[in-house]
Amino acid sequence: MNNRLKVLRAERNWSQADLAAALGVSRQTVNALETGRYDPSLPLAFRIAHVFGQPIEAIFSE
Amino acid sequence: MRQAPMRPRTIIALCLGGLALMILLPVLVAFVFGYIQGYSGREPDFASAVPWILAPIVAGLMVTVLVVTLVWMRTIDEAAREAHKTAWFWGGQAGLAVGGVGVILAALPQASAFRAQAFFDVRDDPAAYMALGAGLLVLLMTAGYVAAWAWWWLSRR
Repeated sequence: MNNRLKVLRAERNWSQADLAAALGVSRQTVNALETGRYDPSLPLAFRIAHVFGQPIEAIFSE
Repeated sequence: MRQAPMRPRTIIALCLGGLALMILLPVLVAFVFGYIQGYSGREPDFASAVPWILAPIVAGLMVTVLVVTLVWMRTIDEAAREAHKTAWFWGGQAGLAVGGVGVILAALPQASAFRAQAFFDVRDDPAAYMALGAGLLVLLMTAGYVAAWAWWWLSRR
């Protein structure tokens, strides 16, 4: 699964630690998500969508 | 389910608490077991009661470990949890597979000549052999768990 996490984070000038704090996860998890090595659970995907103010399908794609 | 991010102070307190538990618990367990062992050596009547005394202590310890693990599992995020689930399944499975070879070989009649206690300095009776086998299996599964966890976590940092 692909995602736009890194781009969206860069647009907001957030560090991985900033995003991790906003999502309530560790920085390692954000890194794993950004590099596509880990696919988030549905609740976390919703949180990511909420933090970036975008629908899930605008952030994640097959 | 949304988990509120923990404050650094809470994380530090949990880490220090865990560290203290890791240091103090083995000391406490060793003291209790050593005391019971020493006392039972002097009092033969007491020796027969040792299993009944130890059983609830060990059961209590196991419950404590489960509770601590539950609390700790709730403090880590979902990727960290996933790492442990994967490690438990694949690492534990791999350890079980390796240990399974030993279990099958030990079941052969030819294995009767093998004296495992010579390597591990344990008693030579069926219960001791059973404990030794179970212990070795747990050791292998733990080794597999640690290796699988390290691979999962370190490759995703």
